[in-house]
Amino acid sequence: MKTTDAWRLSAIPYSEMAFKSILQNSNNMWWGSFGSGSSEASGREDLVKRALRIARFDKFIITAFVMVAAGAPFLPQALGASYGISASVTLSLAVSFALVVLYGVQTLSSFVTSGPSPVLSTLPLMREDVSLVNLLSFVRTSDYLVIGSVACQVFFVLLVTGSALSGLFMLLAGAMNSVVGVGVALWLSNVFYRNILGSKQGKRGGVLRLALLLAWGVVVLGIGVLFAAAGYLIPLVQSVLASPDALTGSILSLVYPFSLGISVGSVSQGFALSSIERIALGATVGYLLVAVALSRWSMTSVSSFPEGASIATSSGRAHETSVPLRGPVTAYAMKDLRAASANLPSAFLFTLPAFETLVILLIRAYLPALGASTLLVAMTLGGMVSLILPLVLVSSEGTGFDFAKTMPLRVRTIVFSKALITTAVFLPAVAVVYVESLLKPLTSPFSILIPIASTVAVAAASLLEVRLFLGFAPSGRVTFALQEFARMAAGAGVVLLPAIIYVAAYILTFNHSLAAGAMAIVASAEVLAVIEFVRQS
Amino acid sequence: MSLKLSGETARSDVPGYKPDALIETHQLTKMYGSFGALNGVNLRVMPGEIYGLLGPNGAGKTTTLRVTAGLIEPTAGSVVVSGFDATKDPIHAKAHIGYVAEIPILYESLTPRELLEFEGSVRALAREAVNRKARQLAEAFEVASAFDTPIATLSMGTKQKVAIIAALIHQPPVLLLDEPLNSLDARSSRILKEILSLHVQRGGAVLFSTHVMEIAQRLCSRIGIIFGGRIVAEGDLDQLRARAGEKDATLEEVFMKLTNEASEVENIVKMLRESFFVDEDH
Repeated sequence: MKTTDAWRLSAIPYSEMAFKSILQNSNNMWWGSFGSGSSEASGREDLVKRALRIARFDKFIITAFVMVAAGAPFLPQALGASYGISASVTLSLAVSFALVVLYGVQTLSSFVTSGPSPVLSTLPLMREDVSLVNLLSFVRTSDYLVIGSVACQVFFVLLVTGSALSGLFMLLAGAMNSVVGVGVALWLSNVFYRNILGSKQGKRGGVLRLALLLAWGVVVLGIGVLFAAAGYLIPLVQSVLASPDALTGSILSLVYPFSLGISVGSVSQGFALSSIERIALGATVGYLLVAVALSRWSMTSVSSFPEGASIATSSGRAHETSVPLRGPVTAYAMKDLRAASANLPSAFLFTLPAFETLVILLIRAYLPALGASTLLVAMTLGGMVSLILPLVLVSSEGTGFDFAKTMPLRVRTIVFSKALITTAVFLPAVAVVYVESLLKPLTSPFSILIPIASTVAVAAASLLEVRLFLGFAPSGRVTFALQEFARMAAGAGVVLLPAIIYVAAYILTFNHSLAAGAMAIVASAEVLAVIEFVRQS
Repeated sequence: MSLKLSGETARSDVPGYKPDALIETHQLTKMYGSFGALNGVNLRVMPGEIYGLLGPNGAGKTTTLRVTAGLIEPTAGSVVVSGFDATKDPIHAKAHIGYVAEIPILYESLTPRELLEFEGSVRALAREAVNRKARQLAEAFEVASAFDTPIATLSMGTKQKVAIIAALIHQPPVLLLDEPLNSLDARSSRILKEILSLHVQRGGAVLFSTHVMEIAQRLCSRIGIIFGGRIVAEGDLDQLRARAGEKDATLEEVFMKLTNEASEVENIVKMLRESFFVDEDH
């Protein structure tokens, strides 16, 4: 088979794979007959249509985002900053690497679990042809991303340095970076979906799952921090790299992707290489070998998927079959946690409120005391981030929700269980604040009530949001999006109101105890009102 | 032996309801836009009865079962399960139902143990009863070794067995089974048939959909032939033969006659025979 024919043919298994991955990570609502005016007839159809739409356009949107992210670090030089480009190249490579990995892990889930297309193996094609088509459908998972980010990087390096050789080096470094990124994504997908989800559960699996979630979180937060602090980091790193004898510079020159960044930067300044640049070039050669090895491993792995050996289910001896039982709300919450943690991106969201609060406290670390305003901002933003959880929890039901619908379940059981998780996820954020209050004095002792009132408000908001999400699924794409937004906005309003009351009461009375009391009363009233709404509906 | 769940009394507000039927549908209608998937399905399944729903693809078998199970709401008409109106009182109706879908619907990221934990907890079942039943059924269907393996990674047959165990774990009086033997091996099929037989001997009822005439003929006490969203005929084999006016006919022949597909199928077979050898010559 000609490569061009194989490339054309690979579009079909690729589309199928992207579709299956999205369906697998089911980010759609299908609540069916739990609410009034349910549109259960069109629900499954909507699910499939939406997955197809995402599969088609997701890659374009992500590519545009990656191109912006890869180009942004070069803006200071493009706008006239005089320092070198090593730090910008490094940052650009780090961000595009992380985004390729994050996107790859999501897209490759179905590739790893069930292979690109079992149908292909049943057609009268040579085994080598099937392998080639599979390999090309794998290439399609990140083709636009890689081409977009590398083109962007090369463009900016040429623009800033005007050196064709630097552009060529950037092309090489970008290609290496992408190969390593795709390889790492494939490896991570293999570890997560095959070795954890595809094998028996156990303590080892639990620890590995947690480790991967944290690693995922570090990558996501790392991107955020890199973006947030880019303006500060680039000149700082550049100055470290520019000082020829600094030990830090020598160490960084060995670390990926600093080696690549320094190498590209050194070429733009001619061939009078400093010791750091020589080390970096040596390390780059080493990373080139790693990239070659990783690309070979990726190709071998991908070619072996059609054999159907990607997931090995263990069939051991007879097993004990005891089944622990709990209360319905706890059982539903446990089910939700298990289902949501089977998906890396959604599982990471469970840690987000605590991270968000921590970031705010770190930003205000320079203040000598923990003031009411810091607590209000940290708790309110942490609470707002928590409100992503109801959407994630309802989404992670997927088509399995049919199973729940065959059971004698009341809507309020589901609402309370999902609100319980959301509130529990917010508690680490409260713990972060209390730990901080042990380390720093409070400007007012009554401020300590703020996290408690915020927790009550988050509970009320999550109850309301879940109930609204379970209400009904409108047909029509625009209506659906508007409804999603309105539901989340309602939750956000419930979280914001007690904080606004605190601020208003303080402005009127200049008394923290009265303000905290008013906040607590409003939050309590909210939760009672929402519980009544859930019970009656 | 009664199969009513403890602490509950069957009741119904539906006029003319006879309390002896475990499943009763009255003028059941389900519209998808202008398409009528069900157009007034009336059926009654009595205790001790396996009622086979037989029909071609798209006739309304699965929709009937899904509406009865409470997965989708009917556009019109009513479903009464164990005396509870499935639309007005779905909680009590669902407590009496065990449902197996044609393609297993399960939370695939859970393991069978976690799924049964979820189901047993939500249904508020007794721990000893769940564990005893889980052990029996896991051994019977040979899934004990997969109890801690995520359902997503199991074979279709094993998923089907897990779905069957989940439908039986609470010992419901009503079983709704949509082509339950499709993915099962011979051993498991035999065991399931035995379980169904024991279930009806204890006074339970089974509403069973299938395409396979032999299964329907051997397993079901009564058969309803559904076509175009309507029950066009029902009864035991002799009653269906009489209805079709085909004495000594097989169920397949009766089915073809009653669904007006006999002459159409004959024409297709004739055409295939003619073209088959022509194609081979070419």
